[in-house]
Amino acid sequence: MSERITNHPVLGPIDMKKEVSFIFNGKIYKGYEGESIAAALLANNIRTLRYHEESGSPRGIYCNIGHCFECRVTVNEKQGQRACLTPLKEGMAIQSSGMLPTPVKEWRETYV
Amino acid sequence: MNQQDFLVCRCEEVTYNELMETASRNGCTARELKLRTRAGMGYCGGRTCRPLVQQITKKLEQAPHTRVTLKYQPPVRPISFGVLGGGEE
Amino acid sequence: MYDVIIIGAGPAGLSAATTSANEGLNVLVIDEYMKAGGRLLGQLYEEPDGTYWNGIKESNHLYEQARRSGAEIKLRNSVHNIEKSGDVWLVYTERATYETSHLLLATGAAESPLPVPGWTLPGVMSVGAAQVMTNVHRVKPGKRGVIIGVNPLAAVIASELQMAGVEVAALTLPQMNGLNEEAANPKQVMNQLLHVAHMAPSALIRQGSKWMKPSIMQQLGITFYPKSGFKMWGIPVHLRKAVTEILGDEKVAAVKLATVKPNGDVIEGTEEIITCDFVCIAGGLYPLTELAAVAGCPFYLVEELGGYVPLHNERMETALDGLYVAGNITGIEGAKIAIAQGVTAGLTMASNHGVPGLEARIDQSIKEIEHTRDSAPFHFHPDVKKGKQIVQEKWEEMMKAEQPL
Repeated sequence: MSERITNHPVLGPIDMKKEVSFIFNGKIYKGYEGESIAAALLANNIRTLRYHEESGSPRGIYCNIGHCFECRVTVNEKQGQRACLTPLKEGMAIQSSGMLPTPVKEWRETYV
Repeated sequence: MNQQDFLVCRCEEVTYNELMETASRNGCTARELKLRTRAGMGYCGGRTCRPLVQQITKKLEQAPHTRVTLKYQPPVRPISFGVLGGGEE
Repeated sequence: MYDVIIIGAGPAGLSAATTSANEGLNVLVIDEYMKAGGRLLGQLYEEPDGTYWNGIKESNHLYEQARRSGAEIKLRNSVHNIEKSGDVWLVYTERATYETSHLLLATGAAESPLPVPGWTLPGVMSVGAAQVMTNVHRVKPGKRGVIIGVNPLAAVIASELQMAGVEVAALTLPQMNGLNEEAANPKQVMNQLLHVAHMAPSALIRQGSKWMKPSIMQQLGITFYPKSGFKMWGIPVHLRKAVTEILGDEKVAAVKLATVKPNGDVIEGTEEIITCDFVCIAGGLYPLTELAAVAGCPFYLVEELGGYVPLHNERMETALDGLYVAGNITGIEGAKIAIAQGVTAGLTMASNHGVPGLEARIDQSIKEIEHTRDSAPFHFHPDVKKGKQIVQEKWEEMMKAEQPL
């Protein structure tokens, strides 16, 4: 389980920010306005942000700074948004993507 | 102890064994290995696994401190066709 | 049309922005992150003098300085391509295309992974990801974590996690494979640690002095290759164990750890399970050079600098007219060096733009980079100075080849 670090021995108390509600995969959660979607979800103990398009394996944040795109989610119907780079807003609707039908997957065997 | 296979390229789900076998069978450069297996050619543009793919082919490639141009193609971040066409996001 | 566009609002980019804007140039800084500061944001460590280097504070300071100098800073915008058209550099972003005479790439570094079976499970993240989650977002990456990869960056972040109340169950090696021969070999890892400790006992030891009295040097010296490991700031460090697999169905539940021989080979039958709810992968940093590559810069692989670096000179100019580099794109080093490089890049751009009389300050700023490097408490790569020298020699070779006597 994850939790917020409200007090830190060197960094001090956490900035009090405005609490907002958002929807992730149809359920309502609370987070702080302006924090990254990835942070808000992790604070709600949610680690799985999407499933791999081909294999369906679960994926969560990996690099947390926009390089790896593992945390991409659909935000207010816009696909491919990096949860680690997108600030949370009141009423945001976030959806994780899942496995897609890929009937022509086995091309590789011919070429590798 | 037998090494379990594992993914190297997370985006295209290319495994270690697949990369090693392809590299040894074809004597690949990093670029050829990418093109044959799709490792490093997925959504992230190779930012995560590129050093690993280069590691595999290092022994076959040029000596250190040789001048090279790196093969990167734009866009270096995924963009929608709308943005590419100069329109709105 | 801008005089200067800077890609990356980290320490190098922000200091270059301030410097060039203060010389009267019209400056735009672009970064895809939601806050300015780059990797500096997450940094938090104790200086040899006992004060804390607080990355958030330092980032805010650099950001405010750049703003006050008149530089425009656009965050949350990704650059996907750059291109030269005549004398103008075109910068293609998600939101718009910008034009500039001088383009500085200050894109920093990306993390190299150390893949092991199970590393795509949610809960496995780069060590930098855990650092940002903890220090910047103030959310614990988990309750109890295992860090794969034993190196200075991993050790510093482990202590940061502990400071924030997150338990680090172990720092340990990855099982050896064809991709990680250095990071998985106990002997090599030990040598690297000794090298770092020798160069800068203060950075590694003082930081932990509040938690641990005996020095890491003593520990390393007395018990060479201890199978039981040793403790650093109370965190178990295992150089004779390696993670063979990360376990879990939907998310991380545990790691499988095995004892390894000094050469990294797993000893059969020694597997043990360590429960944890997150795993960090600490494979080190490499210069993030993709835009320099797209532009067509010549590159050299310089292991001492962390990977491929674009050819550049001491003034931070690349081989392409109007294209500059500063910060970790030129080699993996600390934020203070990036700041110093940003000053040089800012002055060089101003000088090339026609601001007169900057030569002495440029020379002085180059000396300042070297001075900062010499006084750094530790180096990510012990031979960084050699790496810098190689790049410098390659630059001189190019100049000779292009301007025959």
